[in-house]
Amino acid sequence: MALFELQNVTYRYNSRQKKNSLENISIKVNEGRRTAILGANGAGKSTMFYHFNGIFKPTSGVVLYKDTPLDYSKSALRELRSDICVVVQNPDEQIFSSTVESDVAFGPMSMELPREEVDQRITEALDMVGMTDFRMRPSTQLSYGQKKRVSLAGALAVRPKVLVLDEPTAGLDPQMAREVMELVDQLCCTGTTVVLSTHDVDLVYSWAEDIIVLNHGELVYSGEPEPYFTDAERTAYAGLARPHTFSVNSYVSKMRNLPEAPYPRTTSQFISKMAPKGSVGGKVRIVSVKDGTEPVTAEGAVGAYGYTAKKFVQKNDVKIDYMYDALEMCMQDAVKGKNSVLYCDDSMVSMAADRIRSLEKFGINAEVVM
Amino acid sequence: MDTLAYSSRMLNWSPLGKLLFVVAVLVLNILTNSVLVTFITMGVGLALMAYSTNFKIPFIIFLAILEAFLILVIGAGVISVNGGYDDGSTVIWDTDFLWMHFHMTVNSFNKAWLILFRGTAGITVMLSFATSTPIPHMSLAMKQVHMPVELIEIVVLIYRYAFLLLERMEAMWAAASSRMGFNGARTSIDTVAAIAVGIFIQSTNLSDKSQIALDCRNYRGYFPVFTEPAKMGAKWLCAIVVIAVGLYWFGLQTEDWINMATILLGVS
Repeated sequence: MALFELQNVTYRYNSRQKKNSLENISIKVNEGRRTAILGANGAGKSTMFYHFNGIFKPTSGVVLYKDTPLDYSKSALRELRSDICVVVQNPDEQIFSSTVESDVAFGPMSMELPREEVDQRITEALDMVGMTDFRMRPSTQLSYGQKKRVSLAGALAVRPKVLVLDEPTAGLDPQMAREVMELVDQLCCTGTTVVLSTHDVDLVYSWAEDIIVLNHGELVYSGEPEPYFTDAERTAYAGLARPHTFSVNSYVSKMRNLPEAPYPRTTSQFISKMAPKGSVGGKVRIVSVKDGTEPVTAEGAVGAYGYTAKKFVQKNDVKIDYMYDALEMCMQDAVKGKNSVLYCDDSMVSMAADRIRSLEKFGINAEVVM
Repeated sequence: MDTLAYSSRMLNWSPLGKLLFVVAVLVLNILTNSVLVTFITMGVGLALMAYSTNFKIPFIIFLAILEAFLILVIGAGVISVNGGYDDGSTVIWDTDFLWMHFHMTVNSFNKAWLILFRGTAGITVMLSFATSTPIPHMSLAMKQVHMPVELIEIVVLIYRYAFLLLERMEAMWAAASSRMGFNGARTSIDTVAAIAVGIFIQSTNLSDKSQIALDCRNYRGYFPVFTEPAKMGAKWLCAIVVIAVGLYWFGLQTEDWINMATILLGVS
């Protein structure tokens, strides 16, 4: 089902502008699909985002949310924006309360929720982004990365149905960027539709199911990533580069006279494809973290995936080898024939198991033990 | 200031109570002509500040008091040499310099000292309030006295975005320094002017973007406060009234107790 649909949307900031910021855009964003909007700087990604929650009204064309054209009345927009949260790129523009707590509380309090509920949401949201210790800290004293996490917590506290993230990993160090993406994965698993914009093609390629590519306000492509990245010229035209994994797969497949498909999107999938025939995969034991879960005896490296799992291992003093990007690291171990244990949030177990099993498609049969 | 306020031991005191207390003390400081009242006010301000900061008053606050004191010294100096010819008090000093005429009397001399003490006392009391009350609490106090919501939101937003613009100014300053922007007086003036213009343009951009961000977060025209400090109760009101009446009475009783001209110059 299409969650958002833009039908021939054209947008111009003001009449003095020579060129439209969005030119006759028609796209669909499907519910539950991981969608990324790609484009170079100034391509119109943010402008498109602001059409989703009614900040901008198209100069011409229609925006549909759940098959209904947007109603731009005050009350309808309020309802819409409780469903759809946009996290802007620069956290300084988003955070306007003086303490972390009050900023995260802003959304739930504006929704006039009971105080206890607001308190619970603040605790949970800060926990999810790993900022619990900063709850009473003035927002002016936070680093850029911390502000970015607080701005995300502010959106999470609203518990939106759709989370729109504008350049969520821009300006973050690699570890924090992975943490954010892990959180995004978790949200996807719990039923939130996530749409993100970026010009980080590697990130998009490893994460997105659908991509929408914009160039100077015009739609260049909409659909699965591989057909788009196959055409190097078209990728360059939009001011982008081909993802590293995609390029390497392309070159190595040609060198080895292998078909390019199936296209590996992650390192584990790539090394699985390139591993010698007959290689035996390792075993990944997934421990679902929920009430009453006990730590297990380690059979190789140990990873924690998802914020509940991270809390669990910290609380139980479990020695951890992979605190970040744990699923991918356990998959790489499996490709190398090593066993590992993955403590995983209950909501993410099925997704993690599917991803590990997907290695079979690339040549390595990794065993999943639950 | 913000850091101090959030770590203050007086953080959770009623902001409205603190505000009314400060206003009452400041008004009484002006209403009475007793030097002793200004000393008491100053003592109260310093004591509150010491308590608020856990007896670790930061050096920067001392500098702020010192700076204000120096400005007040200049003001008091000007007042002291502008005594009235018909105020009936002894003339201490009378001279001409260029086109200016200086006329210091016992009354103008005492008045200058009183204003200096009043000003310093007022600053300590106001600083004790500022170092213990973050802006959101202050906005809550303003709301409780039914100030217009628009005004309160403007105060909160100015406070928030002033920090951002200051941060940007610091970045521009550092960038200008690293490009020899302060090499010589003329270049420095040009650079400072360019930074000022840059900040102005940035502020307009920031306001546009912030408006969008506020809309994205379903802004309804007010900033809710989650952890509310204590409300002002009857105890606060009683304490303020008692202190105000007490200070006023004490001020009337001790109006002529201290004569600075006699103490410092032996003139009465």
